[in-house]
Amino acid sequence: MEETSKPLDMRYDGAPRRSQKPKKNWLDYVWSFFSSVKVGVWLIVLTLLGAAIGSIYPQEEAFIIPPGIDYYESTYGWLGKWYYILGLSHTYTSWWFQLLVLMLGTSIVVASLDRGIPLYKALKKQKPDRTIDFMRRQQLTLEYELPFEAEDQAAADRWLNEVSAQLGKQRFRVSRVGMAVMGEKNRWSRWGPYVNHLGLIIFLLIILIRTLPGFTLEEYISVLEGDTIPIPNTNYYLKNEKFTVEFYENDELRGQFREEERVVPRRFETKAVLYTCTERCGTSDPVLQEAVQGTIEVNNPLEYRGLSIYQFGYEVTPQIRSVTVSLFDKQTGENYGQFTLKTQNPDLSYTAGPYKLRLHNYYPEFSLDATGAPTTVSGSKPNAPAYIFMITGPGLPEEGSSYIYFPREIDKERFRQDDINAAVGTGDKFEIRAGGMEDVEIATYTSTLTARTDPTVPYLLFGGLIAFIGLAMGFYWQHRRIWLRVDGNRLTLAAHTNKNWYGMRTEAKKLLEALGLEAAAVQIKQKNREGEPS
Amino acid sequence: MTLYNISNTALVISLFSYIAAFIVFVISYTGRRFGNRDPQEQIRKWGTRAFGITVFGLAMQIIYFVSRWIANRFIPVSNLFEFMSFLSMMVIVAFVILYLIYRKPLLGAFATPVGFIILAYAMVFPWEAQPLIPSLNSVWLYIHVTTAATAEAFFAVGFAGGLMYLLRVVKFQSAEKRDRKQQRGVEFTLFAVLCVFGFIFSTMLFRGIGYEAAFAGQEVVQGNVTEVTVEYTMPPIAAPHGYETISMDSFLGMNQPLFQAPDWMNGVNAGRKFNTFLWSLLFGLVLYGLLRLILRKPIGAAIQPVLRDIDPEDLDEITYRAIAIGFPLFTLGALIFAMIWAHIAWNRFWGWDPKEVWALITWLFYSAYLHLRLGRGWLGLRSAWLAVIGFVVVMFTLIGVNLIIAGLHSYAGV
Repeated sequence: MEETSKPLDMRYDGAPRRSQKPKKNWLDYVWSFFSSVKVGVWLIVLTLLGAAIGSIYPQEEAFIIPPGIDYYESTYGWLGKWYYILGLSHTYTSWWFQLLVLMLGTSIVVASLDRGIPLYKALKKQKPDRTIDFMRRQQLTLEYELPFEAEDQAAADRWLNEVSAQLGKQRFRVSRVGMAVMGEKNRWSRWGPYVNHLGLIIFLLIILIRTLPGFTLEEYISVLEGDTIPIPNTNYYLKNEKFTVEFYENDELRGQFREEERVVPRRFETKAVLYTCTERCGTSDPVLQEAVQGTIEVNNPLEYRGLSIYQFGYEVTPQIRSVTVSLFDKQTGENYGQFTLKTQNPDLSYTAGPYKLRLHNYYPEFSLDATGAPTTVSGSKPNAPAYIFMITGPGLPEEGSSYIYFPREIDKERFRQDDINAAVGTGDKFEIRAGGMEDVEIATYTSTLTARTDPTVPYLLFGGLIAFIGLAMGFYWQHRRIWLRVDGNRLTLAAHTNKNWYGMRTEAKKLLEALGLEAAAVQIKQKNREGEPS
Repeated sequence: MTLYNISNTALVISLFSYIAAFIVFVISYTGRRFGNRDPQEQIRKWGTRAFGITVFGLAMQIIYFVSRWIANRFIPVSNLFEFMSFLSMMVIVAFVILYLIYRKPLLGAFATPVGFIILAYAMVFPWEAQPLIPSLNSVWLYIHVTTAATAEAFFAVGFAGGLMYLLRVVKFQSAEKRDRKQQRGVEFTLFAVLCVFGFIFSTMLFRGIGYEAAFAGQEVVQGNVTEVTVEYTMPPIAAPHGYETISMDSFLGMNQPLFQAPDWMNGVNAGRKFNTFLWSLLFGLVLYGLLRLILRKPIGAAIQPVLRDIDPEDLDEITYRAIAIGFPLFTLGALIFAMIWAHIAWNRFWGWDPKEVWALITWLFYSAYLHLRLGRGWLGLRSAWLAVIGFVVVMFTLIGVNLIIAGLHSYAGV
């Protein structure tokens, strides 16, 4: 092998790029800045470091109610305090992190345009007959005396025909000019990185669009079994018809889990009805129209017109939903009639035989204030419900007699129901009570759900898929080219690939062996290898 | 329970097969000049045998996997034991694929250890399969976890290739500053691998003894101060910060913890994890010391002669090839499929959960590697170092995140 000058730089097939212009104006400087691989790698590394810093402590966004500095200080000490003060507790929404991602996006666009277009042009107009100097300066080269006379043009022509046929068999696209042949395969794999970058750009653009207000909706809702509640910022209402949770039996668990008798849920689901509100929305008496109903499970949301409702979790919140009671005559024990008291929005009047009961006052969580007057601790949670009725009917005054009723036995004792009723005179006449536990309806679980609309997800995944296809194109196939020319009986061979030189060498050897040149196949050499971008 | 017995037995056989294959791969090189036979022929013959043993081990591991799948009634990748043993299986698969392309038996001498170390590591964790919790009950568990693990397995082979390259080309005899730095780097990498052994040995040893100690203290859990007890299964070199010793088995005359973990280590289990880390380090040091004593030179320098005949440029290419195969798969499995599942299960495709962040970091790291290699011509040494460090990032994503940062990916009960 003779001495040749150093191997040719085959990056982008030697095509001129805008960023390499010798004379630059300010725009060219910006362009070369963003087109530089060095800058790109720095941006990748800085984004990487930023992402890592943000993973040290939980981000504020990870909480439904973002915690303040106290949380970070009490949980993580002075490190947590400074983490919060430096704004690292919201790294991923900070201006500097978003700026880095934006610059990375710019770099991807500029670098792809800077290289992709010249490369496309260069590969489009390739000459099959390259100069001997060009071929000698390739990484894989071979020069060899062919076994025929130097003057025998017909033999050389026949030999090159054989070469073309063999290259065709090896699935190369063959072109021939005079005494030179070029084989090329999988050129399209060179577009892999550009397709990949295109996919990433689609992805990043959609991420950018998503941040526009009103584009996405995310609301956390907790619904007690049996309740209907509005979904904030929509005109939808959701009813939790029934919540069920199944647990694994202890003998289905193994090892440590079994020893500790852990409670592991097998599945939990909410039977839900979604309503659209047509009138009086947001009031206590909205007009609702059923939109859809279904079962919501983890991994299986309820979907309606772009709104998805996901099962998030559940809480054990045992509460009385309703009690079915009867009005009795305290003396004779006669049952006048039965009626149901709800703990949420109870009805205002009831009838039991000849008697009418009007709900005078309802306290979901009964208590007595400092002056001894009845009051309620919570506005809606029926933790200690108390009903005050005005009863009218035979033998009772026109304006009615009052009667207080506590469904819970413990409250009845605590607040001395019987004494109060005795004092007002109804205590020895009536008694309201439930038959037994079967008359008490209890809601045990509050289902926690997330309502969400995000129309961007399919497009994001589309971007991701494009990016993957680009990567597969670029990494699972290689662009291989092989050049051969015969001058007299002297063969010059050169080959180039953008990656996987091992495969290229094998391919060249296979060609020579098929042509009966085993001796030449052994001689095929590779100079110092150099990586090359596509 | 018999199906589990078959499954577990097959797994143990596969572990020993990989170890046997490793030994035969090493013999194929070190013993190539035994007798008066042709060295190349020796390597080919013994290399093929070692490869056969590897394939046998793989078949055993596939038996483990399939029978456990049947017994579990869901794919066995749902806890740390299952996941890590699946990863080790895919490392062997990745090696088999690259072996079939490049036919370099010596690659086996480095890839099989990566496989069996990961497998042995997996075996330290509780083997029992727990029933699936609802959020894991999805077909995306199969798709996301298997694709991501396959990609990571190729990165693991890339690590093996990168380390081989370093061992082959670093000048161990040179006293120049640059070469000294490289030597120390290689030694440190080998030491880190020995520490993984240290973790496996120390855990097994103290489990065998049945060691126990317990500490009581206070922790802030969700804003409330709660009384907690922490149980140690290894002798406490470091007790949790500010905890009192309730009980402690005596170990080699040691009746109380040597010191307390530093106070910035938060969380109920921080002290215990720190203690485990110290034991791994201690065992790693002992192993390293013993090896140095036997070899009487740096371990890297002792391994180098074995690699004399292999072409470093082939190693460079195999390393790059492994990562190039893994990278698109990683994009698909660890990012795209992960986003789809997160969208279905957690109602958002991306939530900056630590595990997600670290998958992104891994991806960014390898994309930096690829840009440096393809765009800036970082070949050889620098490329090999990046391949080694990249796998450290992968392992941190898989294990470190669960150990140090808590998140939604709960399968690692360590």
